[in-house]
Amino acid sequence: MNKDATLDVQGLLCPLPIVQLAKKMKELKSGQILELIADDVGAKEDVPAWCARTGNQLISAETEGKMLKFYIKVK
Amino acid sequence: MTDKMCIVVSEGSLDKAVMPLMLAITGASMGMEVHIFYTFFGLKLLKKGIKPKLPVMMSPFTFMMTGKMKKANMPSYGEMLKSAIDMGVNVYACSTTVALMGMKESDFVEGTKVLGAAAFLGQAADAKINLFIG
Repeated sequence: MNKDATLDVQGLLCPLPIVQLAKKMKELKSGQILELIADDVGAKEDVPAWCARTGNQLISAETEGKMLKFYIKVK
Repeated sequence: MTDKMCIVVSEGSLDKAVMPLMLAITGASMGMEVHIFYTFFGLKLLKKGIKPKLPVMMSPFTFMMTGKMKKANMPSYGEMLKSAIDMGVNVYACSTTVALMGMKESDFVEGTKVLGAAAFLGQAADAKINLFIG
């Protein structure tokens, strides 16, 4: 997956992954893709909910063992 | 139209302290406008340098909870409050109970606004989410 930036929030619990995601997304340009890596159980539902609420597109979500990888396109 | 969330906090134990801030910070991250109204025993949570304790009988064991929070990379209560205010969360001290509890505006952390019930209810009246914690 092509990505323009990566944000690793492993080790952080809800809501910190979302707080950091929101901050990071503000730094990126429209159309860019952010790779978010989390290991918080809550992130699985938090990230799609945040994307739906803020109008940013969640392109895909993958699980690699305990690692959750999300690819989000900046609106 | 931005969604609004209003929260009333009436107690001052550690759990009641952290919960509204977690919701507020999350809401702010999701683009919501957040207003938190602290009243009665919740007011002490706005005092500069406060370290809230677990309720009543569990109070001497507060260190266990704060230890767990630190281990989980969670910010301290004070850091959370500052983050929330920095993120634009509106934090209010109820004007009447400030007087009743013998406090004054200068006791509170920077960014706290003193507000009355009618003004707060004006915000709550068209808020999408209204919560009472405590």
